[in-house]
Amino acid sequence: MALSFQEPEGCAAIWDFVNAVQSQLQAMGHDDNLSDDLADSMGPIMLPSPDLGNLVEIENHMRTAIGTPGGREALAKFILNDKYILKLIPLVEMAEDLESLSDLHRLCSIMKMLVLLNDSAVMDYVVQDEVVLGVVGALEYDPDFPLHKANHRQYLSDQSKFKEVVRIEDQAIRKKIHHTYRLQYLKDVVLARILDDPTFGVLNSLIFFHQVEIVSHLQEDAQFMRSLFATFNPKEPSEQRKKDAVLMIQQCCTIAKNLQGASRAGLYQRFVGHGLMEVIQFALRNPDALVRVAGADILQALIDHDAMMVRGYIFKMIQDKVKPLTDTLIELLLVEADLGCKTLIGDIIKVLLDPNAIHQSLEALNRAPGDYLAKLRASFPPIHSDSFVQSYYEESVVKLFQPLRDLEGRESVDNLTIAEETLFSYLMEMLCFFLRSHYSRSKYVIMSNNLAVRVAQLLGSRKLIIKLGAVKFFRICLCLPDDFFLRQMISQRLFEPILQVVLDTMPRDNALNSACLEFFQSLTRDSLRDALKHVIFHYREKLEPITYVDTFQTLILKYDQYQEPVTTQELDHSFTSVDSGTPIRRGLVNGGKWGEGLREPDADEEAYFNTSDDEEEGLPNASIMNGVSPVRPLVNYPDDDGDDDMEDILATGTTVTPEPILRSQPEQAPTASSAEPVSPPERISEKRRREEEEDDELISIISSSGTKRKAAVQPSESSPNLQKLRRKNSMSHAKDSGAPRKISISIPLKSSGSEDDSNK
Amino acid sequence: MSIGGSDLDKAIAQLRACRPIPENQVRELCYKARELLIEEGNVVGVDAPVTICGDIHGQFHDLMELFRVGGDVPDTNYLFMGDFVDRGFYSLESFLLLLCLKVRYPDRITLIRGNHESRQITTVYGFYDECVRKYGSANVWRYCCDVFDFLALGALVTGAATSLSPTEGPLAENAEAMPDIDADIEIETLNSAGEVMFRYARNSDSQTSESSQTLGSSPARPDPTPTRVGAAGTGASGSSNGTSRNEGGAVLCVHGGLSPLIDTIDKIRLLDRKQEVPHEGAMCDLLWSDPDDIDGWGLSPRGAGFLFGGDIVKRFNHNNDISLIARAHQLVMEGFKEMFDNTIVTVWSAPNYCYRCGNVAAILELGEDGSNAGFQRRSNGDRGGGGGGWVLGSNDGTSTRNSTDNLRLPEGPGRRYRVFEAAPQDSRGMPAKKPVADYFL
Repeated sequence: MALSFQEPEGCAAIWDFVNAVQSQLQAMGHDDNLSDDLADSMGPIMLPSPDLGNLVEIENHMRTAIGTPGGREALAKFILNDKYILKLIPLVEMAEDLESLSDLHRLCSIMKMLVLLNDSAVMDYVVQDEVVLGVVGALEYDPDFPLHKANHRQYLSDQSKFKEVVRIEDQAIRKKIHHTYRLQYLKDVVLARILDDPTFGVLNSLIFFHQVEIVSHLQEDAQFMRSLFATFNPKEPSEQRKKDAVLMIQQCCTIAKNLQGASRAGLYQRFVGHGLMEVIQFALRNPDALVRVAGADILQALIDHDAMMVRGYIFKMIQDKVKPLTDTLIELLLVEADLGCKTLIGDIIKVLLDPNAIHQSLEALNRAPGDYLAKLRASFPPIHSDSFVQSYYEESVVKLFQPLRDLEGRESVDNLTIAEETLFSYLMEMLCFFLRSHYSRSKYVIMSNNLAVRVAQLLGSRKLIIKLGAVKFFRICLCLPDDFFLRQMISQRLFEPILQVVLDTMPRDNALNSACLEFFQSLTRDSLRDALKHVIFHYREKLEPITYVDTFQTLILKYDQYQEPVTTQELDHSFTSVDSGTPIRRGLVNGGKWGEGLREPDADEEAYFNTSDDEEEGLPNASIMNGVSPVRPLVNYPDDDGDDDMEDILATGTTVTPEPILRSQPEQAPTASSAEPVSPPERISEKRRREEEEDDELISIISSSGTKRKAAVQPSESSPNLQKLRRKNSMSHAKDSGAPRKISISIPLKSSGSEDDSNK
Repeated sequence: MSIGGSDLDKAIAQLRACRPIPENQVRELCYKARELLIEEGNVVGVDAPVTICGDIHGQFHDLMELFRVGGDVPDTNYLFMGDFVDRGFYSLESFLLLLCLKVRYPDRITLIRGNHESRQITTVYGFYDECVRKYGSANVWRYCCDVFDFLALGALVTGAATSLSPTEGPLAENAEAMPDIDADIEIETLNSAGEVMFRYARNSDSQTSESSQTLGSSPARPDPTPTRVGAAGTGASGSSNGTSRNEGGAVLCVHGGLSPLIDTIDKIRLLDRKQEVPHEGAMCDLLWSDPDDIDGWGLSPRGAGFLFGGDIVKRFNHNNDISLIARAHQLVMEGFKEMFDNTIVTVWSAPNYCYRCGNVAAILELGEDGSNAGFQRRSNGDRGGGGGGWVLGSNDGTSTRNSTDNLRLPEGPGRRYRVFEAAPQDSRGMPAKKPVADYFL
C-alpha cells in the first residue's frame, strides 16, 4: 500500500500514529492478527441433494457458509465438484410446472448466492451451455420483485443476436464469444441491481480475459483475417455484410483499447496490413451514418494507438499525389449531416492536423527502425522539412475553413440553414482550438485568410448560438501569446460588432449577454490596456449609457484612471504633457485624457501605440504599476474574476505596498478581504499561481476540456473525475486504502465522511 | 420530422413509459432545447410557487414517483437542481423526459446544471455507456452534452410566501404535536401519502431556536427528541429551527454551493457558462462545493470545489438579500437537511440511491406569496446607476462583514417538504440495463 501526502506534517503525523499502534500491538503480544481469518477455514461443505422439499434447508446452509471467507471457498469447491448447479436446474422447471412461486423465489435466492460467491470458477461455469439457461431461468424469479418475471431465458436463447460476418472455425473460440456475451448480460442485466463491487470486478476481469483471448486468436487466424477483409472486395455483393464487417472491426478495436500494448500493436499491424485504412475510407463514405460513425471510431482508436502510423500513411498519400486522408475527412466534416459523426471527425482532424505532432512524426519516420515504419519509410524518400509541415498544415486549414472564407461578400448571415448553423458553430470552435493549441503555426494562415473578419461577420447572425461562438472566438483572441489578433481587432474595429451584440441583447439576461460581459470584463486586465483604450476611445458614448451592469462603467473608470495621473505619468513619460492645451474632444468632461488630443483613430497610430505597449508586457509592466503606486489605490479597480491583481496579492502576500487601501475595499470579499475570519484555502493561491503561469485561466480551462474524450480525461491528475475514479476503486476497501492525496489529508477535517456521500 | 406540438407530446408519452425516443428525435429535441436554454440567464429568475428537486441520477421510476407526490407537470412548477444523469439505469430516459417537458412547458420547469452534466463525469459514471448501449453509438450522448453546456448555473426564486397555509391533509400516525392551526407555519413535512408528519411555527414558544429540532428524520420514525445529527459525509449538524422575523428574501438554488470567487449573485452573470464544467474557478465551485461545519473555506475532499462554513453562507445571504440557499449534490438519508440556522438546505431527490443506499428522498415546495408585497422582482435590467450593481459589498456596510452573529437575515420562506420513498417495485420493471443488441465478438 502506498500513501502520498501533500504536506510533510501530514505524513509525519500518520507515521507517528502507525508507529504508536505497532508498538502497542507488539507490547500486547499479539503476534498474528490475521489468525482470525485462517481460523475459520472450515472443512469441506456438503449440501443435501436438492429437491423441492429441502430448498429451505439448502438456503440456510448456504447462508451460514457464505458468512466466512473459508465457508465461501469451501462452498464454491463443493458446488463445482458436485456439479450441484446441474442438480438444481431441473427444479426450476418443476417448480414452474407446479406454479410454486415460493420455491422459485428460493431457487432464485440460492442461485444469487452462488453467483455472488464471487468465485471466478463458478462464474465461468454458470455461463456454460449446459447450465446457463437454467441459471438465468432461476434468476428470473427475483423475490425482491414478487410480481415480476424477467425473460432472460428467452433473450439468451435467441441466437440471432450473434452475427457472424466470417465463420469462426475454432469451436472453442466460438464458445468463448458466447460465454463472454452471457457474462456481459449477467453483468448488465441479470445482476445489474445486486452486484457488489468484488463481483463486479470478477465479472469484468473474466470478460476482459475472454476478450483478450478471442482477439488474440482471431488476429493469428490468417484465414479468418483474409476472409474478413475480403468482404470489402468490390466483388462482394452484400452491402449488409460489408456494414457488419465494419461494425465487427469496430468492436475489435473497442476491445483492443483494453489490450496490452504489444498485443494491441500486433492486432493493428495485421489490420493495417490487410487494408484497414481502405476499410476506414470505405466506411467514412458509407451512406449509413452508423457505419460512418463506426469508421470514424476505428480511425480514432487507431490514432489513439499509433498516430504516427496514420500520419505516415497520410504522408505516403501526399507523396503518391493521392488525396490525403485529412482532405477526405475535411470534406466529410463539411458535408456531414450526422452531428455526432461530425464531432467525431472533427476531433480526429484536430489530432491529425497538430503541426507539432506532424513534425515529430516526420522526424521519427525518417529515422525510426522497426518493421512497419521501415517499410513505410522505404516506400518514399525522406521528407524532412519544416516547409512540408507548414504547407501541408496551411493547405488543410484553408480547406477546413473554406466555408468561413466563402462568407466574404455574402451580404447577410441572417438566413443560415440549420446545417450551416451547425457547421459554422463547429468551425468557430475549431478555430478557437487552432489558435489555442498551435498558435504559432495557425496565426498566419488565419490572419491571411481574414478569418477573424469573417467571424465578426457571423456576429450579425440572428442565431444566438452563432453569435456566442463568435464572441468566444474573440475572447480567445484577447488572451493569445502576442497581440497579433488584438491589433487586427483594433484596426478593423472588430470590437464594434461585439459591442453591438451587447446593445442588442441588453438588458436581457442570457448566455450570450453573459459571454459578452465576460468579454468586456476581461478588458480590465492590465495586459489588455490597449484594447481598453481603443474601446473607450471610440465607443465611449455608446458605453456610457449602459448602466444595467457595472462592467462598462468600470471600464470607463479604469480608462480614465489610466489617463488621469498626469502628474505621475509626466514623470515617466514626459511626452504626455503634450496633452495640456489640446482641446478636449467629443465633449468628454473627465479631464486628463492625455491620449485624446494626441491620437487620431488611425491605423498607423494604433499600430504604433500597440507596439510600444507591447514591450510593457509581463514584468516591466508590473513594475511600472508598482511605480505608480501612490495613485494606484484609485486606479486599482478590482477585477471581478480575480485575475492578475488578486493573484499578486495572494501570491506575494500582503507585503506589496499599494495594497492596504485595496484590502479595505469590500471587493475582495470572501477570499481575501475580511481575511480575519475567512482565511482563503491554500488552494486558491496555488490556483492563482498556476493561472499566472498560464497567462489566462481560459486557456487552461479550454485546453483541458480537450478534444478527445480520452485525452481530456487523462492529463489532469487532480481532475474531479479521476479523483472520483480512484475513489470508486477504493470504495470497497473503505478509507484505509490508497486514497488520493487530497482525501487523505482531509480526513481529519471531516468527522465522519462516508464514501457514498462525497461521491455524488 | 419536426418535433413540435403533437410530436413532442408523443415523445413525452413515450418517455413517460420509459422507452427512449429515436435518435433523430433526440437531435431535434436537443436543438430546440439549446435555443431555449441559451436565452436563459446564468441565474434563472423563477417565481414562486415552485417545487425544488435535487439529484435524480437516472432513477426514472423514482422520478415518476416524484411527479406523483409533487404533482404533474404542468400543474406544478418544478425546478431541478441538476445531476439528472449517471449511476441509475435510466439516465437517458430521465434526462430526455425532463428536457422534453422543458421544451414543451418552458415556463413551468427549470433545469440547472449539476456536476454530472459534464462530458468527463458522464464518461466515467454511466451516462455515456448507457447511450452507447441504447443507441449503438455515442451520438446521443454528444447531443445531450451539447445541451449540458447551455444549462443555467443557478436559479433565484422570488415571491415565495413566508408562511405556509397548513395542509388540510390528515396527520401521519407518528406525527408530533402540532402548533396552532392559525399560527404562522414556517415548515411542514409531509409523507408521500400527503399526511402531515411535522409542522413548525415560526418563533413558536415551545421550540425556540435554542432547542433545535431536527428536521428530516425518517418518515417511518420521526425522531421525537431534539438531536443534532452529525450526518455522515457532510460532517455537519442538521437543525431546523425557525428563523426570526425579518424582511423577506429570495431563495438561491444551485447544485453544489458557493464559490470564494462569487460574493454576489450578480457576479454569476459575468460567467461565460457555455463550456464544459472547468476543473476550477467560479463555475466549477458552484457545481461542486459543499457546506460543512467549518469556519470560512476549506478544501473539498472531492478534489473540486470547496467546503464552506455557516459564516460564509450567512454573509452571502445577507449581502445578497436572500433568505435561503437550496442546493443538492449530497446524499441525505432523510431526503433533506437544513443547516446553519436554516440558511441553507440540501435537497436530495433520489430515493434508495443507487438502488441500495436505503435513503428517502424529498422535494421542497415554496408557496406563492399572494400579494407579492414588499418584494421587488430582482431584475438586472432595473438596476440604475453605475455604482451599485457589481461592486462588492454595495449592499452592506463593512461593519457586518467580520461578524456573522449580528447579521440580520431576511425571513425564510415557508417550506413544505414532501418526503417520499423509492417507487413501489410493482410500478416498474426490475431496474435493469438494456443489453447490447447485437454482438460479433
